[in-house]
Amino acid sequence: MTAFPITHYHPTVLTFMKVTKIELTIGWLYPTLMSTYGDRGNVICLRKRCEWRGYTVKVLPLDQNATAVDFQSVDMIVGGGAQDRQQEIVMRDLRGTKAETLREKIDNGTPGVFTCGAPQLLGHYYEPALGQRIEGLGLLDFVSIHPGTNARRCIGNLVVEVSAKRLAQELAAMIGSPAYLIGFENHGGRTKLGKVEALGKVVQGLGNNGEDGTEGAFYQNAIATYSHGPLLPKNPFVADWLIQTALRQKYQSPISLSPLNDALAQQARDAMFQRLRVKTPVIAQN
Amino acid sequence: MAKIQIKDRLQLGLAVLTAKTVTFAVRSLKLGAASVLPGEIARRLQPQLLQLLSRQVKHGVILIAGTNGKTTTSLLLRTMLERQGKRIAHNATGANLENGLMTTLLANTDLVGKLDVDYAILEVDENVVPKVVAAIEPRIILCLNLFRDQLDRYGEVDSISQRWGKAIATLPPDTVVIPNADDPTLSYMGQQLPQKVLFFGLNEPEHYLEEIPHAVDSIYCPSCGHSLDYQGVYLSHLGDFCCPSCGFHKAPVAINSQEYPQILIGLYNKYNTLAAVLAAQQLGVDEATIRDTISNFQAAFGRAEELHINGKHVRILLSKNPVGMNETIRAVNQVRQQSSQLAPVLFVLNDRIPDGTDVSWIWDVDTEKLVDQGGTFIVSGDRVYDMALRLRYSQQEDLQLIVKENLRDAIATALEHTPADQTLHILPTYSAMLEVREVLTGRKIL
Repeated sequence: MTAFPITHYHPTVLTFMKVTKIELTIGWLYPTLMSTYGDRGNVICLRKRCEWRGYTVKVLPLDQNATAVDFQSVDMIVGGGAQDRQQEIVMRDLRGTKAETLREKIDNGTPGVFTCGAPQLLGHYYEPALGQRIEGLGLLDFVSIHPGTNARRCIGNLVVEVSAKRLAQELAAMIGSPAYLIGFENHGGRTKLGKVEALGKVVQGLGNNGEDGTEGAFYQNAIATYSHGPLLPKNPFVADWLIQTALRQKYQSPISLSPLNDALAQQARDAMFQRLRVKTPVIAQN
Repeated sequence: MAKIQIKDRLQLGLAVLTAKTVTFAVRSLKLGAASVLPGEIARRLQPQLLQLLSRQVKHGVILIAGTNGKTTTSLLLRTMLERQGKRIAHNATGANLENGLMTTLLANTDLVGKLDVDYAILEVDENVVPKVVAAIEPRIILCLNLFRDQLDRYGEVDSISQRWGKAIATLPPDTVVIPNADDPTLSYMGQQLPQKVLFFGLNEPEHYLEEIPHAVDSIYCPSCGHSLDYQGVYLSHLGDFCCPSCGFHKAPVAINSQEYPQILIGLYNKYNTLAAVLAAQQLGVDEATIRDTISNFQAAFGRAEELHINGKHVRILLSKNPVGMNETIRAVNQVRQQSSQLAPVLFVLNDRIPDGTDVSWIWDVDTEKLVDQGGTFIVSGDRVYDMALRLRYSQQEDLQLIVKENLRDAIATALEHTPADQTLHILPTYSAMLEVREVLTGRKIL
């Protein structure tokens, strides 16, 4: 493929700083238990986008074998969807100092993307179709309830306009237009938000519950969403926002991200917008 | 043949007659191959249709269930039986929901509702198994494997084997169940059943994978929930396992896998071979016929099917879920390693109903293993850019990627890039496979 970058970041946002060697650690929540729907694509996407820029990346599984020290050491957190039984096993393990460390990390602004089952674990609780209520960490103010085995699953292509204020501003500054996320939702549970800010407004699809038009949640620098797809490869600006935020947190100084060739992602987005007849603002191109 | 009440007989006759009329109409109007609609209409006229028809099959129905390998296993078993002079009804078009099963049986029924075949081989969708076993009362049930597939339709795979077990347990005690011993949930299910259970599995540690792939569903003990210890993994979560907590382990197998060659390429076809062998043995097929059929087997359409197009060799490997695609990649890699020049590989990714509308699963496939080998990759299909992105994120250095929205262009380009003595491998999803075949052979099959 010929190399021409489609994503142009506005250079005014960033200033060049010399950091000799950049290293980032991606913490991956329970990879064998919570990655049912291709969500490891988010890990692959973050890792590659760092590697293509010459950063050293480590992916650290945050699972049964991990300690609270491991949880403490990560710069970004990725969590994927899980089946109900697996989610129970996760919640049995994610207790004590591990849970406390995860809570502190998110509270203190460690960036992360949590898809489907993973947000349910960050909320107050999840009530599965069968079996007992699974208590979450209560970090994000929402609850998730499965309305029963006969209820329709929320399945289909999903388009969301980012509405969480600070995130919307920062993304818009990166891409030069309001940020539209594209993905695929596939969930039985319905999420009702409390005081936490929604990630976005549903443009196409059902989102949190199919009723109030909200999708996902945004808290500190944690993105919670029902969007598989996986989310990041087709929304590369979100991946770069996570990387950017992680760098700022870690090195306490802005580091400019070099643009990458996102022509294929743009074509994938255009094809889906076209198919769904979603009108998005034209992305400004320098 | 079971006794049928007069009223049922009349309804059956009416249902059959209507279904045949519909089939005739659909075909004459060239609306398709009528593999689903006639069954659906007839079922509405006679709700017990499936039961009334399947009980008439002279020597019994063989149900084949599992995520991957149904069609190839059916075709192998069917060929073995046909070589013994048996007449078989088989839903060969892959219509494996209730209405498809009925349509298949109706096609072999005369106008008064009399079904005249020795065996019916019915491939059954994994979700439909609990619904149909009671009505069909199969003589043999093959449980091939359970992988992640079409999550948009089923949501979650965990409960499927439990539902199978529950439904099968209510069948007569002389039903023969043939489950995969290497699949923990099926091994467990088989060990709980009151019926005659014959397990198949591999005992060939030389084929162990070096690591457990990511696209794995069930590595937790189905009995106690503890994580399983694997002595070795053959593919996905299939392997030699035991539970360190409760002692649950792989069930003993009924035949030695080392004594049988396999059909086609790919280790997954060894499982299909073993399952068909066990069923054939139960139905009295002699050993010479079994072995001869294996060595002369031709692929079912799109399942490792080989074609010659303009002097080039083409192999179509249906790849419809992560485990399936991981295994086809493994098979393709073996072929490519042995060839002097790297031929291209064509991916065709569709997201229609039969494919599953969620294409997220391609990110659970270890495409890196193929891309690492190098060569040219061509992508096409409804979700061409999703596949392209997956490959882009698999790349180590330079990726030679050609994106073609139009399938004909994609195939033509792929053939151009294929050296004369090499094999072009095409990895399509289900509906894409039908389209690829149509382009390559110039005719529709469904």
